[in-house]
Amino acid sequence: MITKNLKSTLLKEEIKIRELSNGFKIYYMPKEGYTKQYAIFATRYGSIDSKFRVGSDGEVFEVPDGIAHFLEHKLFEEEEGSIFDRFSHLGSNVNAYTNFTSTCYLFSSTDRFYENLELLVRFVQSPHFTEENVKKEKGIIEQEIRMYEDNPNWKVFFNALKALYHQHPVKIDIAGTVESINRITKEDLYKCYNTFYTPQNMILFVVGDLDEEKVFTTIEKNILWKSEVGQTDIVRYYPEEPGTIVQNRIEERLSVSIPLFNVAFKDTDIGYGGEQLLRKELITKILLEMIFGRSSELFKELYEEGLINDNFEGEYTGERGYGHSMIGGESKDPDQVYHRMMKHIEALGEKGLNKTDFERMKRKYIGEHLRSYNSVEFIATTFVAYHFRDINIFDYMDTIKSITFEDIQRRFKEHFQPARSILSVIHSK
Amino acid sequence: MERYQPIVINEEVRLHCIKTDKFKTNLVSVYFQRPLLREEVTHNALLSMLLPRGTRQYPTAQNISMELENLYGASLGSDVAKKGERNILQFRLQVANEAYLDDKNIFSKGLNMLDQLISDPYLEDDQFSSSYLKQEKENLTEKIEGRINDKIKYAYERCIEEMCKNENFALYEYGKKEDLPKITGEQLYHHYGKLIESSPIDIFVIGDMEQGYIEEKVRKTFQFKRQNLVSGIREQVHHKPSKVLRIEESMEINQGKLNMGFRTNVPYESELYEPLVVFSNILGGGPNSKLFKNIREKESLCYYIFSRIEKFKSLMLIGSGIEFEHYEKTVDLIQKEIYEMKKGFFSEEDIDSAKKGIITSIRSLTDTPGMLADFYYTQTLSKNFDSLEDIIKKIEKVKKDEIVQAAQEISLDTIYFLKGKKEVAEK
Repeated sequence: MITKNLKSTLLKEEIKIRELSNGFKIYYMPKEGYTKQYAIFATRYGSIDSKFRVGSDGEVFEVPDGIAHFLEHKLFEEEEGSIFDRFSHLGSNVNAYTNFTSTCYLFSSTDRFYENLELLVRFVQSPHFTEENVKKEKGIIEQEIRMYEDNPNWKVFFNALKALYHQHPVKIDIAGTVESINRITKEDLYKCYNTFYTPQNMILFVVGDLDEEKVFTTIEKNILWKSEVGQTDIVRYYPEEPGTIVQNRIEERLSVSIPLFNVAFKDTDIGYGGEQLLRKELITKILLEMIFGRSSELFKELYEEGLINDNFEGEYTGERGYGHSMIGGESKDPDQVYHRMMKHIEALGEKGLNKTDFERMKRKYIGEHLRSYNSVEFIATTFVAYHFRDINIFDYMDTIKSITFEDIQRRFKEHFQPARSILSVIHSK
Repeated sequence: MERYQPIVINEEVRLHCIKTDKFKTNLVSVYFQRPLLREEVTHNALLSMLLPRGTRQYPTAQNISMELENLYGASLGSDVAKKGERNILQFRLQVANEAYLDDKNIFSKGLNMLDQLISDPYLEDDQFSSSYLKQEKENLTEKIEGRINDKIKYAYERCIEEMCKNENFALYEYGKKEDLPKITGEQLYHHYGKLIESSPIDIFVIGDMEQGYIEEKVRKTFQFKRQNLVSGIREQVHHKPSKVLRIEESMEINQGKLNMGFRTNVPYESELYEPLVVFSNILGGGPNSKLFKNIREKESLCYYIFSRIEKFKSLMLIGSGIEFEHYEKTVDLIQKEIYEMKKGFFSEEDIDSAKKGIITSIRSLTDTPGMLADFYYTQTLSKNFDSLEDIIKKIEKVKKDEIVQAAQEISLDTIYFLKGKKEVAEK
């Protein structure tokens, strides 16, 4: 058993890594003085992974949309009942989430950490699906889907994805649809579980003021996978996605007081992970702040004209297979906002970006990254998200410092193109 | 982590320091305490939006943003909150801890900006800028109208509004839209002056700095004039509804939002307060609760369901999202759960899990600077000086008969249901 180290002298933080003989990796980050202890058990399996094959000669499977999320719900059920009770008896909070690319099970505790950890490791490895419990879950998830149908921020976001992507499953709701979840069977769940819940496809991350050796041995002792399990690679199939957008504008009506909008730019520089992806992500984030952020000329003008309010923010999402910048807000005239954004980009293209703005945004991101290390939840969930994209979270500071103004100018020209932008609007009913 | 006794800086101005090196930031929160009143709630909300627009030194929001970006993404802002029948105007600064940076003046610079935001606003002819005022009035109108966008929160607040319609607690913390047009710049500026000098002020500083150093900085930076101080209030909490009020509203939505409001008749000063908190937790505190297990897991009626205590006003609120046609059924099932708990049909194990859950959340507070400040401020308002460990001990001591006793006083006041439009057409 080898324990390796990741270290950041800038942040004064380190992460210890242990790899088991079956390829399973465990990460522990000590957080001295923290009361909360946090563990997250994650699989690289999200809502976009509904078509796959295991091994070179395996059969190709295509399963109903929303199955990764359905599986997440169902893992909480054990033969002897709900796992919630057992965590509650230990006074801890157990939870889980599914996003486009991963499913994560987690708990936070302030006491009896190792018992909680044992429970987490065991329940995620013990699926118990029956016809009856699968059927019962459909009603609950249907209510979850309905809840999101009334959430205008969620709707405006997914509509934007539908306008951006022709084929890619990122455009499909994470929970699937009422129709698709009703097609899910217990056999589908076992198929997906056995494919994606494997030592090579999962990691466990622990953070808190804990005993390093005890963290590792508790996990090792409770890992049920046999060490000789030889795993063949999972092949995930994603449809060919053109670089173009589907439609420039998409709209819907809901019970809202003021129209909500998302403006998005589709990324065409995709197909890689690692430090290169981190770098692109940070460059794009800096650009979003420079162009649309609070200190930008555009924000000032739109705000003073009453076209936007305090809720106007941009973010970038970059995965191996897709990427987009998304700027969201509320406005009585979203079309006018969109028009002004495009004009602003055109003007910047002509007169050029401002280097002082760039230097300021670098400082801003350095400070904000520092601040994020206050939160053990943030550290754990971000670590996982970066890990599955082959990014080392501790590279963040060095990467941001190494970004040059030329990088920014290059990316600006390439990414912020009106022809690859869309406007999604939710109007009032 | 060390929590010091509050230092009195001036009349009704207290400085609370919590020293810890575990965070990578330093936090300063300044709270102005006001009574929650129709006459000023809209003014206070408007001030929380207007003051961040500019100071004498940084006349525009753009100037402020640029300076904050230079200060390594420091965050500085203002907001209003409702704590019982108190209206709180809050200012908050969070800056990176200098130990991690080459720059060594971040905290002082940030503190100065915070002071300017509170005490030295951008003025034109000794008044607030009329264009800023006009814009923020529009933004506040949008914000108030925007309440309907979050259906879960909206239904929760509407339930309280109906239940407490003759009490100040019904007021929305962002005020009333119809009161906005009447507010003039002159009037608001006058109110601002009065607010600064007459409100009790609590300043919380959480970070890696000595108390002496903080006190010196705070005394040098903030000069609060003191005059005609307003005194604290205590809410009326005893209330026995004569009949259950049923309110139904429709909106074009997909899922019904059910809220049930109860009067607990247990004030936070009472020895039955902790038992009440445990009661609510067993009922609807999390995935181990009665409501979650029965309404969600057994009946598949909902995805979310919770029960919560409003401390200052002694209310208990239950909320859930359900199909429209399951309204009566869900209400009946919820009432059945409460009835059984009042009869004492819950186990020692239920009590134990609930206590542990509560204790975990209290302990977890200490890892988030903002929550820690807020928690101690709430304590200050309720004149409770227990340490976290004291509070935990009180929770641990709770016994079953006390929980049952606390439960006897709980009575249903209002059932609020936000339903779909189609159903109305059919009826």
